[in-house]
Amino acid sequence: MKRLLTSLFLGLALIAAPALAQNQPLRIIIDEGVIEPLPYAVPDFVPDTPAAAEYAANLSRVIASDLSGTGLFREIGKEAYISQVTSFDAPVQFADWKAINAQALITGAVSVSGQRLTVRFRVWDVFAGTELGNGLQFAGTTDGWRRMAHKVADQVYGRITGEGPYFDSRVVFVSESGPKNDRKKRLAIMDYDGANLQYLTDSSSIVLAPRFSPTGDRVLYTSYEGGFPRIHVLDVGRVERRVLQSQEGTMSFSPRFSPDGRTVLYSVSQGGNTDLHSMDIASGQTRQLTEAPSIETAPSYAPDGSRIVFESDRSGSPQLYIMPAGGGEAERISFGQGRYGTPVWSPRGDLIAFTKQNKGRFHIGVMRTDGSEERLLTASFLDEGPTWAPNGRVIMFTRESQGAEGRASLYSVDITGRNLRPVRTPDGASDPSWSPLLD
Amino acid sequence: MKVLSKVAALCALTVLAACSSNDPSNWGNGGPGGSGGAGGPGAAGSVNDPKSPAYFQQAIGDRVLFAVDQSTLSPQAQTTLQGQAAWLAANPDYTATIEGHADEQGTREYNLALGARRANAAREYLISQGVAGNRLKTVSFGKERPIEVCSTEACYTKNRRAVTVLTAGLTG
Amino acid sequence: MQTGTKISAIAHATLIGWAVFGGTFRSEPLPFEVQDVSIISSEEFAALSAPREAPEVVTRPEEPTEPEAQPQDVVVPEPDTPEPEAPQPEPVPAPAPDPVPEAVPETPEPEVPDDTPTLVQPEPEVAVPAPPADERPKPRPVDRVAPVPVARPDPDTRPDEVESPAVTEDDGAETPQEPSEATAPEEATDQIVTEATETDEAAPLRSPRPPARRPSPPEVAEAPVETPTGTPTEETPRSDTPPATEDAVQDALAEALGGESTAPAPTGPPLTGGEKEGLRVAVSRCWNVGSLSTDALGTTVVVGVDMNQDGTPVVSSIRMLDSQNGSDSAARQAFEAARRAIIRCGASGYDLPVEKYGQWQTIEMTFNPERMRIK
Repeated sequence: MKRLLTSLFLGLALIAAPALAQNQPLRIIIDEGVIEPLPYAVPDFVPDTPAAAEYAANLSRVIASDLSGTGLFREIGKEAYISQVTSFDAPVQFADWKAINAQALITGAVSVSGQRLTVRFRVWDVFAGTELGNGLQFAGTTDGWRRMAHKVADQVYGRITGEGPYFDSRVVFVSESGPKNDRKKRLAIMDYDGANLQYLTDSSSIVLAPRFSPTGDRVLYTSYEGGFPRIHVLDVGRVERRVLQSQEGTMSFSPRFSPDGRTVLYSVSQGGNTDLHSMDIASGQTRQLTEAPSIETAPSYAPDGSRIVFESDRSGSPQLYIMPAGGGEAERISFGQGRYGTPVWSPRGDLIAFTKQNKGRFHIGVMRTDGSEERLLTASFLDEGPTWAPNGRVIMFTRESQGAEGRASLYSVDITGRNLRPVRTPDGASDPSWSPLLD
Repeated sequence: MKVLSKVAALCALTVLAACSSNDPSNWGNGGPGGSGGAGGPGAAGSVNDPKSPAYFQQAIGDRVLFAVDQSTLSPQAQTTLQGQAAWLAANPDYTATIEGHADEQGTREYNLALGARRANAAREYLISQGVAGNRLKTVSFGKERPIEVCSTEACYTKNRRAVTVLTAGLTG
Repeated sequence: MQTGTKISAIAHATLIGWAVFGGTFRSEPLPFEVQDVSIISSEEFAALSAPREAPEVVTRPEEPTEPEAQPQDVVVPEPDTPEPEAPQPEPVPAPAPDPVPEAVPETPEPEVPDDTPTLVQPEPEVAVPAPPADERPKPRPVDRVAPVPVARPDPDTRPDEVESPAVTEDDGAETPQEPSEATAPEEATDQIVTEATETDEAAPLRSPRPPARRPSPPEVAEAPVETPTGTPTEETPRSDTPPATEDAVQDALAEALGGESTAPAPTGPPLTGGEKEGLRVAVSRCWNVGSLSTDALGTTVVVGVDMNQDGTPVVSSIRMLDSQNGSDSAARQAFEAARRAIIRCGASGYDLPVEKYGQWQTIEMTFNPERMRIK
């Protein structure tokens, strides 16, 4: 009896012990990992009708192009597939996709009825065997199939990375042709990936630095129409334009909309001095924001509209400054070596992208709004004019090659400095401005 | 239209060849005159005619050059501008637009502002030499219209310039 | 939800969609509607994602419970979706998607070369006697950044997390091994090489920022979890018990408990530093932060996982215990990346001593991406 009791007691003690052990899980800290594109597969979407077959294949190609284009994902080609997706509603054969190391899988179906295109899709975490988010359906016209592909890709991108969407967006820029000393420039607009290009002006006058309005319906730009640089505003949908600001004996350039779209910030050169001004678009009322003998230009609003970052050479060389939106005391934020210009506030508000010139090279870089944590993302003979993707993760800019045959083209880069890549345009291209997300 | 008629008027005053020349500075973009100067070489008479724009352009010199990032006038530039001022005093029918330019080393915006500074420096000097301010306009092309296309200092030094472009006209 | 309500919801969603998206596009871009309508309920999804043979699906339609996870989504039975209770081999949709014309001409292939364009170097700067310090090999831009640089592998090898020699059948091994490809970790650098850092002169002066590598691990201080520095089992008195007794008692216990499968596993002594390090390295190899948002890259997550005795993780047990410095959504993506890491690299079992199973039956992993963010 005593023995039994003892053993019971011991047993109880031991029951307690493992229980205690289970309350003390093994703890480890993982602070090193890898940075590589996430492998994914996007089999051709399943066509619900014969008419949908072509759209189904094209949609998955554009989705793949969007995702792989971020540099954050790597597509696994269909030649590696073990199983095919022939039905949108059949269970996913996770083992088959695991075997080819597809970590994410996108399945979809497309139906067409008349001009109406409907796309359904799902995103799967293959290794966890779960769906990421819920299935979603987009409906639109067949003409808009590329936009629909971008919408789907935006969803996939957001669900896996957590970044906001940006594929369903456009870029307005200056299309360039002709020799360097007689360059023809005209405004053009295209999808962010270069598709659906349209010209907005002819090339009879020099046009510079278009800037989208916060709603993407209007574009501000500088044109030499009439012989002097003046700011014009163009209605993108109707392709109508008008001079926004004109004052005899002055030049105005470098315009940018306020986040509410009601005010325009710009530079005015008068008597050789360049200062910042603002204009209320509705009333036409203008206001001078800086009064210094130095050059003040390239202003950009913070996303909340409260402050302005701009470029000034008041210290002797061009540097970046921040001041209240209504003018006032400006605080210098750039202190690195070299010259800084064309600052642009990130739509997220956390970073400022800029052009930097140092030791005969140009860079696109980003810094925090207090000037700290400066990081240079690119280096070339001439990089300039950054513009932010709507989600603040990617920057597009102008890169110009040197020499008599020098040509301007558009490039994009992830804000980590990875994934630098050219943006295809038929001719030379400069001064990109990324639209907000369409909708 | 207005611009076109101005250009046409200018052509009428100059030898025809000048308007269709291959002068690299003649960018023919609808602006008032070319960045190279009114009419190009051999315009309106000959270099030997001190009343001709050609004389202004070549004998006196229609442009002044600047150091990197600078808009101050060198002694040589001042001499050129003195000559321009004297010519303008002697030829009151002409007005002028001073075009400021920058080399390609700089951002588009900054170079526009820098070109404006250079054009204004030349204008101020001409005024100091007695030219009436209402005869002188300024405009900046920043780095948009280089005259030389290479990417070395040899070209840059010629592109950092302020060019006085004559316009024959009573009002200008 | 009543059918009527559902229909009404769909109608409203459609109407709103039309009003919002259809109405504003008089010019361009092209008219476009978005219906944020989930196609089938989450149970149905669960049923679909369950193993194919899962017969319990039959009982599914009986459960009308609404999904709680996404209350904002309008749940509709997609009319043309066959009810999921019959996941019999789907008849392939009428038009067998034959080799669909692959390259459709109007697709303006936005593909671009992966490589960074070669830079035309400007005239070399005046040849300053180069500081010989720069003789260290310059990092080449590679698509992959890993804790330890990995040389470019033999082109024949298949990329894998771990290096394994090729096994061929004629190896004369006693135990027949399945032939397998040689695998090697993919080529990697140990830091992000941007264009700006690639060029010699462009290690440009920058504003001060924290050094990339901290001398001491300050993240321990920041993490809310108890630091794992002390052996977690220190306090337990078990180590006093001679193992033999323990075993004997356990046997007795197992007997007493009727041989339940939940019998306590051998606990053994705490894992050695090397064993823990092995696990840490193994998980690190699969922890890919390359597709995380910048927010998620600033988010530390603590993930709990129950382990099988064979060293594989119990996938369904992987859970987020805590997160720091990030929004809920950032934490979710960070967690998902951590979950992928645990599952992928644990697929064939982590190398953990089975005799100490009790020590690692449950693991809490803190994934702190701080050092990856500033690489």
